[in-house]
Amino acid sequence: MKSGLSRALCVAGLGALLIATAGPGFAQQADREIVLGAIVPSSGPFAEWGRANTVTLQMIEKQINGGGGINGAKLRIAILDDATKPAQATNNLRKLAGDDKALAVAGPLTSSAAEVTFPVANEMKIVATSQASSKPGVAKLNRPWAFRNTIDEGVLGRTTVPYYKKSFNIKSVAIIFDAKDATAATVGSRIMPALMKENDIEVLNASDPLSFNTGDLDVSAQVTKMKALNPDGVVVSADYSQAVTVIREMKRQGMIKPVVGSTQLISSAILKAAPEIPIVAPATFYATMKGDKPEKFVNELQPLLRKTSGLPPEIEPSMYDANIYEIVSIYIDAIKATGVTGKPEDLETDRAKIRDYMAKLAGFPGLGGPIGFNDDGDAIKAFYILQGESGAWQSKVRGCSAAPGHPGC
Amino acid sequence: MLLQQLVNGLTLGAVYTLIALSFSLVMGILGVLNLAIAELFMLGGYFGFAAILAKLPLPVALLAGMAGAALVAAVIERVGYQPFRDAPVVTPMLSTLGFSIILQNVATNIWGSDPLQLPDEVFGARFTLGPVSASAMQLTIVGATVVLVALLAFVVQRTALGRALRAVAENRDVARLLGVSAGPLTLLAFMLSGALAGAAGVLIGLHYAAITPYIGVEIGLKAIAVMVVGGTGRIWGALIAGPLIGVAEVMTTAYGGSQIRDFVVYGLMIVILLLRPQGLLGGARTEQGPRV
Repeated sequence: MKSGLSRALCVAGLGALLIATAGPGFAQQADREIVLGAIVPSSGPFAEWGRANTVTLQMIEKQINGGGGINGAKLRIAILDDATKPAQATNNLRKLAGDDKALAVAGPLTSSAAEVTFPVANEMKIVATSQASSKPGVAKLNRPWAFRNTIDEGVLGRTTVPYYKKSFNIKSVAIIFDAKDATAATVGSRIMPALMKENDIEVLNASDPLSFNTGDLDVSAQVTKMKALNPDGVVVSADYSQAVTVIREMKRQGMIKPVVGSTQLISSAILKAAPEIPIVAPATFYATMKGDKPEKFVNELQPLLRKTSGLPPEIEPSMYDANIYEIVSIYIDAIKATGVTGKPEDLETDRAKIRDYMAKLAGFPGLGGPIGFNDDGDAIKAFYILQGESGAWQSKVRGCSAAPGHPGC
Repeated sequence: MLLQQLVNGLTLGAVYTLIALSFSLVMGILGVLNLAIAELFMLGGYFGFAAILAKLPLPVALLAGMAGAALVAAVIERVGYQPFRDAPVVTPMLSTLGFSIILQNVATNIWGSDPLQLPDEVFGARFTLGPVSASAMQLTIVGATVVLVALLAFVVQRTALGRALRAVAENRDVARLLGVSAGPLTLLAFMLSGALAGAAGVLIGLHYAAITPYIGVEIGLKAIAVMVVGGTGRIWGALIAGPLIGVAEVMTTAYGGSQIRDFVVYGLMIVILLLRPQGLLGGARTEQGPRV
């Protein structure tokens, strides 16, 4: 009886000791926060993309915290609006890295913003991964901290243009581009002319480039000029909201010719502009993609997007929502895999751990297939050549941004 | 192609004319550049779209766009102009710039940043005459512009209201001594100006069948150039300068290259400012003060 009592007292004492020593630790663990940053354009010309990105980030934050957080710590994603202004994106990155002590940043969205923000990421030694920038060389110029979960437009064009040529028997094209958009201007003035030449397609206005400026409402003069050239097809290098103006004008002037462009064209809005004009463009994700992962992602995100005020009631998750979801998922995986503590004193080491994890990443399970990063900081992942038909995007060709046989694809 | 480009230029010029008149009306009477007019144009477009999507006929859509923009203009006058009436001229101008940004944000929050598109063009029928083709909507824009300019000119030059407006433009204090109520007239000038911008927004929105919250920015700047070229505060000046700038812009794009388009348009404005600061129809150079 006596020994039983002593044993019970010992157990109780040991328990009390354990609680006394481990209790505060548990409490700290529960209070501990892992902070990630995000830069999205929630206002300005790409507000739709930025707002949808915000909903996506809130969804993943809720999912992670609902599942117990990251290594017991709560995930907080600090989301800042850059209004698609490069200077604002840079200020946001400084705030996220300096004030919020974010471990890594998702964004900014555009190449114009990435071009000025990535050097600051290098300076502050924090990983920044763009969800949409695809102008060639933007991450490459800012190694080792800059990454892009996108594929270089030049790589995508090598599959897009041959498909376009074959499908529509294209022998000649006219090119029109948005001169004020960094990606559009590069694709329209350098990438597409070179790809057309590689594929023996004549550019009828090669010596007389046709352009317009972001925000232009009237492109009738440019379209009249293209129509007079009578090309077999038209290259429209602009983001979808500007491309809508060109395609509407083509329809108005009776210029029903197949259009080809970059990832910037991918949107549901562009398909409404002129359903009779076929549009070909590459994408790494599309809302009607088949498979467990993409379908689950769409089924979870779409209702949230549709009930968010300021977004169209018929909105679907975009490629950029998928990209930012993957970016945060990769960061979380890096934090779990490399023993990131999230403690203020470990901030520099933690950030470096995430950078090194990203640089060596291969075969991460993304929504459209495995993801890795090449030496330039751009994603190695699968892509699809989509064709806009009867108001919906249809996948026609599957490609990969790495060389054939590369484990990344 | 030359004739077709001329038609394109005239259509564009007609739009510039309407917005330039809108700027001109407030500038001529109050000497204030209302920078929110570009956004009144954009809002007019959205109101017109809403009416057309509700299956209302074009005249009703036009009236809805004009009335909606006029009401917003009245708010701008009360909140953004009246309190700063006696402040230096730059103060109300900055206040209207603030309104412009706010209205853009409001439109983005209500309608989103994606282009709002009509499923089919309104007045999509096209008329072809030899190498030239024009849509019914293009002809409507040019026709409506001429009618609205003539109507405004009639109101300003031939009616008691117009005389009162011109009196306030000439000298506000003297006009008040003569029994003219300057306050309500200022409000009316803002509302008329808003209605014109709203009409332009409806016509252009329906012509291009797609609008965004940002359509007013570029077109508003061009309209200011038109106002300067035509003569600040000159109604008929805008009718000449609008098509002039529109055709110059289109011809530059077609034959000179898109890259030098803005150089030509704004270069023309600077040349006019240097050589004839009162504008093409601005009267004698010695003539000073605002005119309607």
